[in-house]
Amino acid sequence: MSAADIVATSVRKVYHKDRIEIPVLDGLSLKIDAGEFVVLMGPSGSGKSTLLHLIGGLDSPTSGSIRVGEYNLERMTERELTAWRSRHVGFIFQMYHLVPVLTAAQNVELPLLLFKMSSAERRERVATALKVVGLADRTDHRPNQLSGGQEQRVAIARAIVTDPDVILADEPTGDLDAKTSEEILALLNLLNSEFNKTILMVTHDPRAASHGQRVVHLEKGVLEREERNPARPAMAAS
Amino acid sequence: MALPLYYNWRNLFVRKLSTSLTFAVVATLVLVLCVLLSFAAGIRASLAVSGWPQNVLVLKPGATAESTSIITPDEKGRVVQAPGIAHGADGKMLISEELCTQTSIPRRAGEHNMANVAVRGVDATAFGVHPEVKIIEGRRFEPGQLEVIVGKAARDRFDNLGIGGEVRLGRQGNRLYKVVGVFETGGGAFDSEIWGGRTQISDSFNRHFISSAVLRLDDAAEAAAAISYLNGPFVALESKRETEYYEDLSKTTRDIVALTTVLIAIMSIGAAFAVANTMYAAVDGRRREIAMLRTIGFGRGAIILSFVTESLLVCMTACLFGLAGAMFFSGTRQDFLSNSTWTVLAYELKITPTIALGSLGLACLVGVIGAIAPALRASRVHVIEALRKA
Repeated sequence: MSAADIVATSVRKVYHKDRIEIPVLDGLSLKIDAGEFVVLMGPSGSGKSTLLHLIGGLDSPTSGSIRVGEYNLERMTERELTAWRSRHVGFIFQMYHLVPVLTAAQNVELPLLLFKMSSAERRERVATALKVVGLADRTDHRPNQLSGGQEQRVAIARAIVTDPDVILADEPTGDLDAKTSEEILALLNLLNSEFNKTILMVTHDPRAASHGQRVVHLEKGVLEREERNPARPAMAAS
Repeated sequence: MALPLYYNWRNLFVRKLSTSLTFAVVATLVLVLCVLLSFAAGIRASLAVSGWPQNVLVLKPGATAESTSIITPDEKGRVVQAPGIAHGADGKMLISEELCTQTSIPRRAGEHNMANVAVRGVDATAFGVHPEVKIIEGRRFEPGQLEVIVGKAARDRFDNLGIGGEVRLGRQGNRLYKVVGVFETGGGAFDSEIWGGRTQISDSFNRHFISSAVLRLDDAAEAAAAISYLNGPFVALESKRETEYYEDLSKTTRDIVALTTVLIAIMSIGAAFAVANTMYAAVDGRRREIAMLRTIGFGRGAIILSFVTESLLVCMTACLFGLAGAMFFSGTRQDFLSNSTWTVLAYELKITPTIALGSLGLACLVGVIGAIAPALRASRVHVIEALRKA
């Protein structure tokens, strides 16, 4: 079990469309402690997902720097970022993005194929991950044989199977009903509290946001305000 | 690290129609290629084992084949003076005077299914000049008798040519010859012929000349001198090594092969486009999946390899089906109507390991060429855009 802190310093991100500059993040700075569960909120276009993608190394900032644990992302090549993501970041998407032709276990196994590992060890880790998310009895089910909540659980198992330092979740409950959302958020809480994962979650849902230890509000690419959740005090990083 | 093979395999069944069409195109390509290559190899093998380098075949100038050649007794007399002619055990010069003609007889398949068979009138010397002719059943024909021996391929392809069988030969088909022997030459052109005594054949067909003379020399190295003499002003005939003659006969085959090779090339390009079309559809349908794979750590190389592998899986499986279809024809004897002799030449269609490997190679090439552009497109999927479009 490991966790990494995240430090974004004066991050600017500008997109270009038809020669027009579209600033999405405008000198944003943010610090997330190792093992912290932070929620990013804000209206559409405020830069939440962009910040998530930059922290996940899927995109590079126009200026500024991002450090995750000991890695300064802006200094890494695309190849290095790809390798880094596979070892240090777990992604959870709103639409799960499971491979329809693979079973739950095979979907969870995908990130492990990038590791030098025996198939027995892979099987063991997949079984553990599916057990953590409560789907030990659904290993051979295909995504179309699972409910939305179960699909998201498989996606979470896929995100944690490599034991990453950071979990980045982009509206993980956006496509789920209230009850299932609660279950998924409880699972994320578990990963944070029991497994000490640093979690950064983007959401529009205030109820979902209440599960974070800190809620960061973005507005037009800048950090507008942040709130600590008294119900969930931050834990010391391991 | 590559994506697992079962991922690619299962994805093939997601787009059943386009995958099936690509499969059918590649399988057909392989089938046609196999049949073409085995046809060419069969004809080549049949003609390649025909003839000896120390045998010189003499024809009338301008004749393209024995059946269109007429050598008069006067011309025939000058041939014997060629240098280097070998002598048989009986001391006679090994010059085989041969009359080549053809007749139409029913094939085995059905009584109304007639085909031309080559009929060769020879003397006993022919067996010394063509030592590859081995009697495998029965005996040689007796001179002066209405008897013939038949090549093994002819016996297998035509009706009533077994030992004891009877065949009508002659201008009106008015002479009934009895089959007294079956010979083989190891797959050569003679295997598709009927041989009888020259005098009887000449009389039956009312052709009182010879078509060709075959000289067996002491040494193949003397062929050039003999040919020079025979083609010279004194004899004024056209001679060539027997091997060369059969090689020239296979020219038509080479032309057919060349033409069909162009066809195969065009088909291959079409197949590559079919593969590309299927793979482009696969890439476009799986943009989110590709983005997810890139997100969790699969590099561009792994994505390219995955799509090329998927394409190769279709093409190699299709190739196996194509080969299985081609194997259906393998081992069968086919007829080839020579446009030089207007007789049927029997050859064996055979799918050899070389042909199978060549077909597999072509299928793989089509698979790789067809997949490379879609695979590159897949590797360049904009991850964030693809994830957002979800």
